[in-house]
Amino acid sequence: MPDPKSRDLFPGALEMMVLRLLKQRPLHGYALVQRIQDASNNLLQVEEGSLYPALQRLLKDGLVDAEWGVSSTNRRVRVYRITRAGTKHLGQETSSFARMLEGINLVMALGSET
Amino acid sequence: MKHRSWLDRALHRGRLYDEFSDEIRAHLDEKTDELIARGMSPRDARDAARRAFGNVTAIEERGREVWQWPTLESILLDVRYALRQMRRTPALSAIVVLTLAIGIAATTTVFSWARSVLLDPLPGAGDASRIYALETTTSSGGWTPTSWLDYRDFRKYLKSFDGLAAAYPTALTLGEDENTVRAWGELVSANFFDVLRVRPAFGGLFPSSSDEAEGAQPAVVISYELWQRRWHGDSTIVGRVVHINRFPFTVAGVAPAAFHGSMPGQQIDIWVPAAMLGQIVPTGSWWLRDRGTRTFRVFARLKPNVSFPVAREEVERFTAYMASVNGGASKGMGGRLMPVWQSHWGMQDALRSPLLVLLAACGLVLLIVCANAANLLLARAITRARELSMRLALGAPRRRLLRQLLTEASLLAVFGAALGLFAAIWMSRSLHSLIPSFSSASLLDPHLDGGVLAFTALLAVGATLLAGIAPALHGSRSALAENFTAGTRGGSIGQVTATRTRRLLVIAEMALAVVSLVGAGLFYETFRNTRSVSPGFDADSVGMTAVRTTLAGFDSARAEQFLDDVADRIRSSPGVTSAAYTDHVPLSVGSGSWENLDVEGYAPAPNENMKLFRELISPDYFKTLRIPIVAGRDFTSGDDSSSTHVMIVNEAFVHHFLNGRAALGVRVKGWGRWFTIIGVVKDAKFYRVTDPPTPYFYVPAKQVYRPEQGYTFLARASGSVDALVLTMQRELHAADAAVPAYNAMPLATYIEGPLQSQHVATQLLALLAVIASILAAIGLYGVITYTMTQRTKELGVRIALGAQAIDVARIVAAQAGGLLVAGLLVGLAASVVVARVLASMLFLAGGGVTVFAAAAVAMLVIAALATGVPTRRAIGLDPVTALRAE
Repeated sequence: MPDPKSRDLFPGALEMMVLRLLKQRPLHGYALVQRIQDASNNLLQVEEGSLYPALQRLLKDGLVDAEWGVSSTNRRVRVYRITRAGTKHLGQETSSFARMLEGINLVMALGSET
Repeated sequence: MKHRSWLDRALHRGRLYDEFSDEIRAHLDEKTDELIARGMSPRDARDAARRAFGNVTAIEERGREVWQWPTLESILLDVRYALRQMRRTPALSAIVVLTLAIGIAATTTVFSWARSVLLDPLPGAGDASRIYALETTTSSGGWTPTSWLDYRDFRKYLKSFDGLAAAYPTALTLGEDENTVRAWGELVSANFFDVLRVRPAFGGLFPSSSDEAEGAQPAVVISYELWQRRWHGDSTIVGRVVHINRFPFTVAGVAPAAFHGSMPGQQIDIWVPAAMLGQIVPTGSWWLRDRGTRTFRVFARLKPNVSFPVAREEVERFTAYMASVNGGASKGMGGRLMPVWQSHWGMQDALRSPLLVLLAACGLVLLIVCANAANLLLARAITRARELSMRLALGAPRRRLLRQLLTEASLLAVFGAALGLFAAIWMSRSLHSLIPSFSSASLLDPHLDGGVLAFTALLAVGATLLAGIAPALHGSRSALAENFTAGTRGGSIGQVTATRTRRLLVIAEMALAVVSLVGAGLFYETFRNTRSVSPGFDADSVGMTAVRTTLAGFDSARAEQFLDDVADRIRSSPGVTSAAYTDHVPLSVGSGSWENLDVEGYAPAPNENMKLFRELISPDYFKTLRIPIVAGRDFTSGDDSSSTHVMIVNEAFVHHFLNGRAALGVRVKGWGRWFTIIGVVKDAKFYRVTDPPTPYFYVPAKQVYRPEQGYTFLARASGSVDALVLTMQRELHAADAAVPAYNAMPLATYIEGPLQSQHVATQLLALLAVIASILAAIGLYGVITYTMTQRTKELGVRIALGAQAIDVARIVAAQAGGLLVAGLLVGLAASVVVARVLASMLFLAGGGVTVFAAAAVAMLVIAALATGVPTRRAIGLDPVTALRAE
């Protein structure tokens, strides 16, 4: 099991990343995990399983759609696609995340001076 | 996939979950394949894929939770699971539900009954909790009713009350000539209905001026019941003239159906202003003007901002002041304010003690029920400790398990409470058959009390819940690993604690059962002893019938003539050997009247109560009741108002006041006159059969005639006593058809009356004791069975190694024996304390040792029965199966 600390994402972070990736193109669960790990340079050790409850939440809130299809490895998989509401939600989340990050950075920069 | 509506989701949740599981499986497969492609062995690849994924069960659970309405759905799930659990242990569930039901039903029934007698003595009165009784106290510490003049002063000067009302209950004759009936009525102050906050159901009440002018307000309020019974709810009743004691009254209105008057346990049908006393009791109009004539019962409604202690203090201060300024009539008198249920009028006075005992017994049973439920649920929790640990290990949140257990306990509690409700309804109906027939319906109408039911149910349900979640709290303390590795013998610390708790619970249950058995036994013994005590007179073959001469509107001379006339008529009837009359039938409810005496040559001790109870009798009274005359003579018809005043005393009187002196010829002063003792009779019981011999005296009714008292004819006949009673009624009717007779019955039946409430209480106590014992037996059975199950393996080994049936039985007996001995010791010790507390209510020979012994034996038998089944099961154990268990 990965070190518990490394998967301590803030609430909503996983969902935000999923939406960002799905905005590029529809993906199934396993591919999403691969993409998160690749894109983050393996800095984010996401427990693979925790992606699925997150996907269920998005599905329930209508931010993504899902459809059963066939993967590149010829497997029956559920492919997720971002909805219009999801796109809108992503926009809001991204800007609020950017503001939060900016704030944190400012505080942290202050810390390094002393 | 299309976005689903919530309804769609709700209906197809199962498919949703399946898809989710499929998806996770697909993920794991894909990962495994990829790892294999990288050169891992299939087995390592699968393990690695799972490790990377995390806890599949927990993730599935979290994924599903997304879709669930967090409360309703999971509660339904819990309920379904709980029902499955109940089906899996049907015996245990049935026992918990049944005992809860029995406990709730029994306690609710008795509580309701007690409540209607003790806590709601004035049904129909508004805001009755602010109403108190004000009694006048005597110098000897006793109580008496209050005089009208004292009442008027209370009303005028006491500041703590919104209002004070007075009532004098008395028997009245309703109707004219041949068409008369006897009914109970009250002469009341005009504000009576205002103070009690009783609104008329129909018509109006008394004008407030009716207290002022004597004889000027011939108005009457009738009870709803009388209105229905006699006038069939006729709406023209208001304004109609009815005759009461031969005097015309105008109906002012009808009291509400719930209101039965101010005498708990008595149905009052007629209310008349007290100012009409002179018209109701022709010889008694002076009562209202005499401070020493105390006939009224006083009720006081406390002001909202005044507390009871403050009001009580004011009453005591004011009555002490009155005693000092009013001289002779009030010397040494006082006043006491008390809750109505503590006051001395009515049947409640006789029922109070038995009811309090019953309440206590019910409390015991309820305690046992709770202990039992806790015990059984704890037993189940222990067997499920491993299941719970497993679920915790698999990632189920503790909160979730707690809710699960709570649901299971609630389900049991709800079933128990529902069944209890039905049982309570049934029991309250069947209780009617236990009710003494002489009493009025209002007192002993054990209607189910919603508040009481809710209280009892809450208590039982609360206990069950507590017992139900105990294991969950428990589980949080016990380490997971321990429960996993623990074998059949339950080695974990948590289980040891739980087992100890259960043993303590069973010991408590058995101890409580012993207490209730002893309690019931003591009361049964008391009842039996009371019945077997000789009252000092022979009631067999004696008939009685009572009259109130005042009801017929007779003056004194006519009344005396009438009494003698009827006695002569009865005496000359065929089969009658003797007949007499008295103003107080011995062993009636209430102790009769007294007189303040001076005995020649006797110096009373300071503060000695010289008020002695007495009877006004006719000649032949002692012959009729077969009370032996030990010295002197009986009264004769010559002992009348024109001759020397004479008195007959009992042996206790001679013993106490004359101390060995010859009694005959001694003079005694009462009623302001000197009486000469002309006879001594053997002691007879006049108040309670259990009383010690008490000084008592008799004077001729013709020398001290009290017209306001009712008189009772007593006659002895050689034939059937029922025929005798009919004869007496017939002769009375023949003498004057307009005088209504009452209490026409065999004397033996009449004096049994006061014992009836004792009888009912004894039966109920016995019932409660049986319930308590059954519950204790169930508790013991549960613990023994469980212990044996835990030791199945060990027993199997022993049997395989050649242990005989007797050896196995010894093991079980050792288990049960320890619990039994502890339960018995604690129970008997507690019973000794209980017996001491109840001592004043008991009447036992030899301190009830036999009762204690019988209770101990009963408990032994119960314990033997409870352990019998587990023992047989242990003996019949097949060693092979036993060893394979687990």
